[in-house]
Amino acid sequence: MSVFGLALLFWLAAWAVNAALARSRWRDASGVRVVVPVLFGAAILGLWEGAVRGFGVSPVILPAPSSVAARFAGETGLLWEDFLQTVLKGALSGYAIGCGAAFLVAVLIDRSRFLTRGLLPVGNFVAALPIVGIAPILVSWFGFDWQSKAAVVVVMVFFPVLVNTVQGLAEASAMQKDLMRTYAASYLQTLLKLRLPAAMPFVFNGLKIATTLALIGAIVAEYFGSPTRGMGFRISTGVGRLDIELVWAEIAVAALTGSAVFGLVSLVERWVTFWHPSQRS
Amino acid sequence: MSARLLPVLAVLSGLLALWYGAVGPMNIRQALDLAERKGVAVQPEGALARQEVSAFVLMARNPGEVARGYALERPRLPTPGQVAGELWATTGEMALRGRGFSKRSLIYHGWITLQSTLAGFALGTALGVLGAVMIVYSRTMEMSLMPWAIISQTVPIVALAPMIIVLSGQAGIEGRGLPKAIISAYLCYFPVLVGMVKGLRAPTREQLDLLRTYNAGGVAGFLKLRLPASMPYLFTSLKVGIAAALVGTIVGELPTGAISGLGARILIGDQFGNPMAIWAALFAAAILAGVLVTLLGGVQGMVLKRMGMAV
Amino acid sequence: MKAFKVALMACVAGAGMARAEDVTLQLKWVTQAQFAGYYVALDQGFYDEEGLTVTIKPGGPDIAPEQVIAGGGADVIVDWMAAALAARERGLPLVNIAQPFKSGGLQLTCLKDTGIGSPEDFPGHTLGVWFYGNEYPFYAWMAKLGVPTEGGSDGVTVLKQAFNVDPLLQRQADCISVMTYNEYGQVLDAGITPEELVTFNYLQEGVGMMEDGLYVLEDRLSDPAFKETMVKFVRASMKGWKWAEANPDEAAAVIVDYDETGAQTLEHQQYMMSEVAKLTAGSNGALDPADYEETVATLLSAVSPENPAITKEPEGMAWTHDITDAALN
Repeated sequence: MSVFGLALLFWLAAWAVNAALARSRWRDASGVRVVVPVLFGAAILGLWEGAVRGFGVSPVILPAPSSVAARFAGETGLLWEDFLQTVLKGALSGYAIGCGAAFLVAVLIDRSRFLTRGLLPVGNFVAALPIVGIAPILVSWFGFDWQSKAAVVVVMVFFPVLVNTVQGLAEASAMQKDLMRTYAASYLQTLLKLRLPAAMPFVFNGLKIATTLALIGAIVAEYFGSPTRGMGFRISTGVGRLDIELVWAEIAVAALTGSAVFGLVSLVERWVTFWHPSQRS
Repeated sequence: MSARLLPVLAVLSGLLALWYGAVGPMNIRQALDLAERKGVAVQPEGALARQEVSAFVLMARNPGEVARGYALERPRLPTPGQVAGELWATTGEMALRGRGFSKRSLIYHGWITLQSTLAGFALGTALGVLGAVMIVYSRTMEMSLMPWAIISQTVPIVALAPMIIVLSGQAGIEGRGLPKAIISAYLCYFPVLVGMVKGLRAPTREQLDLLRTYNAGGVAGFLKLRLPASMPYLFTSLKVGIAAALVGTIVGELPTGAISGLGARILIGDQFGNPMAIWAALFAAAILAGVLVTLLGGVQGMVLKRMGMAV
Repeated sequence: MKAFKVALMACVAGAGMARAEDVTLQLKWVTQAQFAGYYVALDQGFYDEEGLTVTIKPGGPDIAPEQVIAGGGADVIVDWMAAALAARERGLPLVNIAQPFKSGGLQLTCLKDTGIGSPEDFPGHTLGVWFYGNEYPFYAWMAKLGVPTEGGSDGVTVLKQAFNVDPLLQRQADCISVMTYNEYGQVLDAGITPEELVTFNYLQEGVGMMEDGLYVLEDRLSDPAFKETMVKFVRASMKGWKWAEANPDEAAAVIVDYDETGAQTLEHQQYMMSEVAKLTAGSNGALDPADYEETVATLLSAVSPENPAITKEPEGMAWTHDITDAALN
């Protein structure tokens, strides 16, 4: 029985446990809700490890998860430096500027029906475009450091957030608006007390889409020139140096970051839009 | 119609005007460098001295040279006219000369990108629908798969792209069409999955109970109730999915050394300092995205109308 | 399970072995006159004459030829010696079987008005460097000069340069890496005159490294049939190179024909071909062991974390004359 066979057994066992858990009476307990996907992920990793070891796959093609983990642990300083450059400087500042600007623009143009009508289809169209292609242009405009990466992120996140916010602002019903009018509420009061809260589920939808886009944008932009640090830099040079373990370690950082930020946005969403049907279960 | 068209046109012309206006300051340095080399006196002299001065000051001090920035061969920011000219020269004009499918034409490269996009879209839709069915019918699947489906989308696909290409080469898959399609399927399956799960769960308890009183089995319940009920959701997510598939293909072509396709044109345009090729390819991609989404919208309208679910 | 494993191994190796006379060549970069010899040999039927069916795979920024050959996606690759030696130290035993490029075209080009006149002026400036395995000579050079690469007033700031010359034109970098046959021409095309530039050639600075050579996996050379195929391949390729040197304009036209992006211009490829011809001129295809020694010495002179090329003398057979001896007899 080869290593791969063992891994396969492990996977089947994990699946059986999951199936039993899903049918058991604890299936709605929060612990089980975490354990099941974690076990599933561990089983996949086990299968990967087994396949790499069992078939003797060369580490320059696909390293085993254990050696990636070892590399990850050994290079935390380097990975942190890249994280700082790409995520905190490039992606986060671009995300903040892009989402903030989109939100402000949405609130401003919302006052004009004409502009809203014109911008919504255009924004919807642009949001569907492969904007990543603009990365080489922005790198040549804004230089090699994180500023150009932030610029790519701004352009990428702007339109999804804009479109969602504009749609969200239209969400409050005529009845609700009439009610505000009977209270003699001003535009600002209506906006703050009724329309913005009502728009929040949409805004958060846009913010969630934007988190993924921000990471993609910041990493792709580094392919077109960067200082000698950053996740995109390390990934592209790692491939050239056959340092594939480091590449996978960076991918792991990206995945962890993406999931953590997504989780964070979801948490804030639950806190802000606790009243929405989708958050009450 | 005109009530909707007019605002869009107004916004578009506003954007165009903004673009046109930006060309001046964006290109002024390049224009002055060029003028200086040709022996024209510019203020201040020397490229280094001009680094210290803002673009608007340069424009004010050399008003005669601003126009030069609108006709550069390799501008930092081309004018809308220049981009349109390049786009026409590599599409319509070549088609008129009967060379529409030559390697120099964007029609050819658009076609390459379209093929991968459609392959990825088909693969992603199939995976998404299949995953949704499994999730709706198996509780184990739902609990195991759903969190990972969400996590999969937070992994920046660009990081995985080179790995996918090597691994598919390892698996004996030749050519670069399929790896690109896999990347685009990776981005495309998620909206379809989420939409389909929602759609398949759309039937109410009463409807499901009614079906049970007819003594309908699981398959009939799926085909006659759940599947039709999910159609509006499916089409909405398909429109998101096809746009995502196109993004995936371009990402797959961009840094991974694809040799043809719109993404490869962007890469080569960048490498050989030919910004016009980048812009033309970008707009070609935009047009492609518009056409695909519009087409799907048309199919959606037709199908839902025939099913009596017109929106 | 064992049968499955064998089947998988056969599948992996089978990519290149299905028919002995099929050869897949993985290039280091996109289709351009840098690889004219191979395209000419294909176009002029030199490979056909040897009974070979050759497939040429262009590379790109994210394609590592070493990874492709390790995965069985190619039989032979075009690579730089520094990258190949680095791969050998990482357990991928690549062997140089031929070296069509006698000298190298890698240079560092600086704008004169930034105050750079000689390598001693580098500190305090920003330099553009290519990565993807091409950074080894740069770090070796900086180590030789004793210049730190972490920025600051007594060190240089290093940028990962992308694929074009914009950083120099837009003054984001004071110096950029160029190949004599490609980017240098682009700088001139942009209107900058040679008088405005200061150029340092890596070879003349004593940190030269062998550029485009042909590499195969060591274990496959023990197969006489594969060796025979490689002999034919190298013979036809060198014939292609010599044809390209003699007919640069026609060779450039061949390249433009084979370029699938359709973005290459004949004019630029003609320039590139004329410059590449200068680099291939001195080579009959056989590697000069002295050049190999120089490359190794340069790499070993600058062993550091930023420059993880090799840390010790390459072990085993890093190059061989077997193929070229038989091909050129």
